[in-house]
Amino acid sequence: MIRALHPQTLRLIALGLALLAVVLFFSTQIDNYLSPRMFNRISTSAAVVLPVAVGQAIVVITRNIDLSMGSIMGVVAYMVGEALVLWPGLNPALVILMAMGLGAIAGSINGILVAWGRVPSIIVTLGTLALFRTFLVEHGNARTITADALPRWLVDLPQMSLLSLGGLDLRVTVALALAACLIVGLALSRLRPARKFYAVGSNPDAALMAGINSARVVFLAFVISGALAGLGGFIFLAKFGNITVVAGMGFELKAVAAVVVGGVSIMGGSGTMLGVLIGTVLVDTIDNSLTRLPWLSEFWRDALLGILIMAAVTVDTLASRSLNRLKRRGGE
Amino acid sequence: MKMKMISGLMLGAGALAGLMGSAVRAEPIQATPGQEVNAVLLPKFLGILPFDQANRGAQEAAAELGSTGKLQYIGPTPENSAAGQIEMLTTATTQKQHVVMLSNNAGDQIAPAAEAAAAAGTKVVTWDSPIPSGKGESFFVAQVDFGSIGVVMADMVYDLTGGAGEFAVLSASPDASNQNAWIEAMKTTLATHAKYKDLKLDDVVYGNDQSEESYNKALGLVDKYPNLKVIMAPTTVGIVAASKAMQDENLCDKVKVSGLGLPAEMVSYTLNGCAPEFALWSFVDLGYLTYYASYMLATGAIKGEVGEQIHAGRMGDYTIEADPGREGARRILMGPFTVYNKDNVEAAAK
Repeated sequence: MIRALHPQTLRLIALGLALLAVVLFFSTQIDNYLSPRMFNRISTSAAVVLPVAVGQAIVVITRNIDLSMGSIMGVVAYMVGEALVLWPGLNPALVILMAMGLGAIAGSINGILVAWGRVPSIIVTLGTLALFRTFLVEHGNARTITADALPRWLVDLPQMSLLSLGGLDLRVTVALALAACLIVGLALSRLRPARKFYAVGSNPDAALMAGINSARVVFLAFVISGALAGLGGFIFLAKFGNITVVAGMGFELKAVAAVVVGGVSIMGGSGTMLGVLIGTVLVDTIDNSLTRLPWLSEFWRDALLGILIMAAVTVDTLASRSLNRLKRRGGE
Repeated sequence: MKMKMISGLMLGAGALAGLMGSAVRAEPIQATPGQEVNAVLLPKFLGILPFDQANRGAQEAAAELGSTGKLQYIGPTPENSAAGQIEMLTTATTQKQHVVMLSNNAGDQIAPAAEAAAAAGTKVVTWDSPIPSGKGESFFVAQVDFGSIGVVMADMVYDLTGGAGEFAVLSASPDASNQNAWIEAMKTTLATHAKYKDLKLDDVVYGNDQSEESYNKALGLVDKYPNLKVIMAPTTVGIVAASKAMQDENLCDKVKVSGLGLPAEMVSYTLNGCAPEFALWSFVDLGYLTYYASYMLATGAIKGEVGEQIHAGRMGDYTIEADPGREGARRILMGPFTVYNKDNVEAAAK
């Protein structure tokens, strides 16, 4: 049976096993861990990171990186909040579109500089990370967007569930993040033009030979990542309500961690959205569970987070290697 | 010989008496307006309300004193706070600014830069958050007595728990020197007064002044300690995030949030009962007093020594004293702070 499986699928199975191991470990350490409450805590927390991680994955697949996503998130959360304070009657769907549109504009600046300016993406986005944040500082003028100035529907959105099964909620914010992941995942695996992201990432020269306009593909990747950072910004605004200039800070690194743990090759050309989803959930589960460990002091938490992420990646690598071996043996 | 010694002693005693007399009689030192003071107000980072308010106060004082120099409000962006502060302090030194007013976010790492500034003639006055070792700093303009913040924090927990129960602290970062000092002061208060014997501090966690981290940490505390009654957050970011988390998860009846917060950000949570009580001081006044003291230091009107008394415009008289929390360091104590609840929060939020 294992013979029929694609190496990518094996990877996902290994990643799922790592997540299972982590959950089992914490359930022996924390009282009442396997509860609907814990599920809701982790799912809503991961929902803020997931869209950003999906956007990051697309950029990484093209052999680039986007370090400005946290700053884009902050700018979008602030500006959309501002718009809602001015026009509380805005249609919710329009608000989400606006958030993604603003993010896409910011992303296109990155895209132009990387794709046609030929500046390495790590330099460009390190620059725009500071640039977008500075823009926010200037634009915000030290005013805070507060939850009580926002329309009721937005403040209540984090508690709203699409459906609830025995206490397990599918909250609206979680559904939004999952929808983004699903749409991008389906597009990347089913749509022919979307395969160009992989082509450009795995071998830019070959892609050029094959007549792919790689500059346009890279540009598009940054626009999509900006738009998804914008969606993350919208969820951030809904969840926290109180937006200052520090909003979204550090999310670019959370996203990179989720993407790498999720099995997207940092060398470009490979990775799946299901992997990114599991990676995001895995990192977030470790993070949120560590704060609930009774015997762990605050100062060891970050160190242990790092160790557990490395352990998860190791388990994933070893497991997918041995599954591959099993597959080869099965094939003889 | 003997006579000489006695007369010498008497002379000494007389001189001492004279000194004491002058110290008692001393009028507070007045600032001479219209001098050139180039000053830099350096907050932890730019773009949030409390620091902006402090700048408003400093600008007000500068206008009042008619300084012919420039008062610049510059600071790092939030993602570059500690490193940015050190860089900007060094730049201010090479620009030969007369005085830098610093709300320190870089712990003792900034001390070498502050010492270099002092050696080159740029005075460093801290406000809001001091340099822990006091090295390189002339004095610290303290918003309130750090010991009394400890008492206020303990009292708010006492009120909200009804005198007995478990609580936890959600702080900013593990190396924020002001928050750490307040938490220590609160622990001392809890340990030394019988009134607080039934309050139990379960844990101290850090949200690093990030909304999502503080939000998740607050929920983590609730899950970890089922009998938790109060989350005490002595940081304006933490208190809002914790309040929102309790509201989102319908926990406000069970767990109350308190700490230090801005009325404008807290008003809805105070009125709906999630955070019935919190405290803060005026950042406008803090900026005003800091500028007055810095102006007088830069113009040589004061030397920054213990016992010097200054007159700070509309705020009245203040004395430089030894800082009880930091050996060898000096402070000017502003105080007091206001405790906000549903009766006064709306007026303050406007």
